[in-house]
Amino acid sequence: MRVFLEQLLNGLTIGSFYALIALGYSMVYGVMKLINFAHGDLFALGSYLGFTILVLGTAYITSYLGLWGGMIAAMLIAAICLAVVGTLVERIAYRPIYPSGRLPAVVSALGVSIFLQNAIMVVWGPRPQAYIASVVPSAYIKMGEIRITLLQIIILVLSFLLMGILYYIIQKTTFGAAIRASALDRDTAALMGININTIIFFIFALGPALGGTAGVMVGMYYRKISFVMGWNYGLKAFTATILGGIGNIPGAMIGGLLLGILEMLGSVYISTAYKDVFVFIVLILVLIFRPRGLLGEKIAEKV
Amino acid sequence: MKKIKFLLGISVLVLVVYITSFGVMAADKPPVVIGLQGPITGPYAIEGEMAKQCVETAAALINEKGGILGGRMIEIMVVDDAMKPKESALAAIKLISKAVPAVIQTYGSSITKPASDIYERYKKVNIAYGATDTVLTEEGLEYFLRTCGRTDTQGNFFAEYVVNVFGAKRIAIMHDNQSFSVGLAKNTKKALQPKIDAGEVEIVYYDAITPGESDFTVPLTKLRETNPDIFYFTGYFPEAGLIIRQARNIGITCPFVGGDAALNDEFIKIAGLEMAKGCLMTQEALLKDIRYPEAVEFKEAYNAKYGYIPSSPWAVYAADALNVIAYAIDQTGSTDSDVLVDYLKNKLENFPGITGSISFDEKGDRIGTGISLYVVTDEGGFEIYNP
Amino acid sequence: MKENTNLKHKNIFIKNWSIIILIILLLLFPLTGNNYFIDVAFFFGIYALLGLSLNVVLGEVGLFDLGHMAFMAIGAYTTAILNTNFGIPIIILLPISALAAAGFAWLVCSPIIDLRGDYLCIVTIGMGEIVRLTLINNPFGITGGPNGVFGIDFPSLGSFFMIDSSTEFYFLIWIVVGLTILALINLQHSRIGRAWNCIREDEIAAEATGIDVRRYKLLAFILGAGLAGVAGNIYASKLMIVSPESFDFMESCMLFCIVLIGGMGSIPGVLVGAAAISLFPEVFRAFAQYRMLIFGSAMVIMMIFRPGGIWPRKRGAVEFKSLLLKAGRDDV
Repeated sequence: MRVFLEQLLNGLTIGSFYALIALGYSMVYGVMKLINFAHGDLFALGSYLGFTILVLGTAYITSYLGLWGGMIAAMLIAAICLAVVGTLVERIAYRPIYPSGRLPAVVSALGVSIFLQNAIMVVWGPRPQAYIASVVPSAYIKMGEIRITLLQIIILVLSFLLMGILYYIIQKTTFGAAIRASALDRDTAALMGININTIIFFIFALGPALGGTAGVMVGMYYRKISFVMGWNYGLKAFTATILGGIGNIPGAMIGGLLLGILEMLGSVYISTAYKDVFVFIVLILVLIFRPRGLLGEKIAEKV
Repeated sequence: MKKIKFLLGISVLVLVVYITSFGVMAADKPPVVIGLQGPITGPYAIEGEMAKQCVETAAALINEKGGILGGRMIEIMVVDDAMKPKESALAAIKLISKAVPAVIQTYGSSITKPASDIYERYKKVNIAYGATDTVLTEEGLEYFLRTCGRTDTQGNFFAEYVVNVFGAKRIAIMHDNQSFSVGLAKNTKKALQPKIDAGEVEIVYYDAITPGESDFTVPLTKLRETNPDIFYFTGYFPEAGLIIRQARNIGITCPFVGGDAALNDEFIKIAGLEMAKGCLMTQEALLKDIRYPEAVEFKEAYNAKYGYIPSSPWAVYAADALNVIAYAIDQTGSTDSDVLVDYLKNKLENFPGITGSISFDEKGDRIGTGISLYVVTDEGGFEIYNP
Repeated sequence: MKENTNLKHKNIFIKNWSIIILIILLLLFPLTGNNYFIDVAFFFGIYALLGLSLNVVLGEVGLFDLGHMAFMAIGAYTTAILNTNFGIPIIILLPISALAAAGFAWLVCSPIIDLRGDYLCIVTIGMGEIVRLTLINNPFGITGGPNGVFGIDFPSLGSFFMIDSSTEFYFLIWIVVGLTILALINLQHSRIGRAWNCIREDEIAAEATGIDVRRYKLLAFILGAGLAGVAGNIYASKLMIVSPESFDFMESCMLFCIVLIGGMGSIPGVLVGAAAISLFPEVFRAFAQYRMLIFGSAMVIMMIFRPGGIWPRKRGAVEFKSLLLKAGRDDV
């Protein structure tokens, strides 16, 4: 029982990372029909930015704001920087390619991914970096036999808060309705007077910003970051997007959490080694039997 | 017209490649070029970088004293293998195609194996510096030697000395499925067998983690449930750093001992000093503790160039590999691999290396290596453990 | 009329002669004696073969396959395991590896063949990862885990014919590539090739005209997998080791880029793409760290300025132009 609860908590934590990254994928794919392969690397960039802010600027930040304040500050700065980078990427690498079709967009996205990954390597060095102990809060509480770190709690709270805010924006505001409309049918939405450029700006700013926040959180949680981490998390987050229904924002959140829990439970009860295989098999089964995901809508193919 | 221009462009490109490949072949090189293979990039870059710097320092020392074969300078050709088996094979292929007389290779037994297969096939003498898996010298490779030790020595040391020091009865052994790690775990288990049969100790946990992951809470939880007195991790430092932190976080309190690939400065950085201090490792002697005159000279030269002395014993073995091969080339007057291998295995005796006296046996193993138990101090250094 | 026939003849003349010259250059290359470059040319050949195998799936039929290296892995590991455990000669294992890879494709792709474009893409990514992860985990102890399977022999027929030098491997791969190109050109002009292209252009229209879309798609996958399996066999015996990281997602992406950057469905384009991908790291070796930055940006720039690829396939465009000229239109 103890093991189950511990792993459930773990699964939720990892799941919230996946969820935050998945949101970025979902928004972009929903509106632009583009699989933004570079998204995972944007997440990694967030992690490294957090590292720079906290570890390299450690004296200033933590002395003024304390450990927790430092973490929030790092997340904010990372989010803003990532929003800028995200929109730049869209402007430089994707916008010129829209008329050329889907396949060139895929290649371009891969190119951006390679570029970002190696840019991180050039700037921060090929060795993995670590969020050193002095910037990570280590307080914990005990519930029965289970040890829960304060960090875990804060991460969960923050993630759910962010997801909640996004959910509210998407489902309950007019702007959110505009986004959903663009995801459904971009051209008609434009004809209806929705400013597609604003929508595009929003998704390419917010998606990476959320990813960057997740990056800082991952950095604090696991402490070790490397320039290849973007790829692994990106792929899993993308799986989560599919699981929840691609183009569907709440679906991405649920998909992410579910994926995290599935992964942890799979690793405990089936096999640690094959846990990723298990995740991918789930993905393929979902795609074969319910391609629209858990929450997605059925889309007929137009002739 | 456009197409013709395009075809012309491609033909020019092809011609350029052609001509340059002829040209490169024609030049002849007076320096003696020794190949060095190592993980220059990737998570193990710290090892590769130190190995490169050590070998270059050793080469510089030899060159200062006049070089070999009557004044020819030694040059090192470094090829990166990123600690991956495929890259290692490619690196070996590349060094062979460059026709270097000898190669010093690499960190990691699972990475050394494919390279040594290729060197063997192309009959190139190669000396390993960071590969201690026993399997490597058990298969009758003619051209393979190593200046580092073997995992059975280490396994014996753990079973005889370490277990006694801590009075451990319940032993947990964790590896990571890679050649070296599995080999060390197996050899440790083998060395513990007499004690197991006598009922003195019990191996309560013997399993593997997956290298490259960042979350080990599941296997660590399983380990915790077996209630061990001592935890021996035979894998590498990127995982070790995360493992000790996660282990302590979920409540594993017994002493943590790493194999000789598990603890180094990176480990301390990843784990954080708070968690790392007090951890132990079974390790060949670190350079700072070696007092031979050659070691002193080497330490001074390295420190002068880089401002610190190398913390990795493997990088120092690489320097010794260079010393030994340069000596062999000089003594035999030849760069032919058969001549060199014969000399190294049969004629070289008690060569004064940085890490002590060097001789090789018929299988290519180094004769006479020793293991010590080190502990991480409160300041983040490594000292021999005094119980 | 006369001019355009001359133009056509001139084009064919140039085309044929340039092919002959290229073949001669290819044959004479090993004379440079520089093993390093010969090895580079060998790997260029491997990428060419892999590019051609993916071209069948992606270029001809338009199926997004981002897990293609899984097929090469099956071929390579089949060769490795059967050779190191049972001593079966490499040359015999070549068709066996191809069959193993093709069989695997048939098994795995049958259930997913109906998936729509993007979804197929994701499933192939997943499939590639599943294969790689399974290999790393050493099921039944036969794949060697992260260490891989080592000690693979060189191809040989008894003891009198052995391929063990750089030059011999070079010729091996390029003969295979040459034969493959001939076979693929024939396929392009056959009914199968036309059915494939029809499916790529408009799947529903193809179905409506009576083409069994499902069968042709599966055929493309099987053929592509078989060719990748052959590449796996030759690669395994050159490196003497197979390990899971040779077949990861990044490699599949590289293949994808080879086909796209070269020009979808275009055989000379694939060769150019393979050359770009395999020679690029060599050419830019001097720039060390910045190499991949340049590579990534090059990919983006290529897609912005030449999304059709470096050498796109012109299907019948030349003939159409000459038809128009014949009909009196002089403005084309």
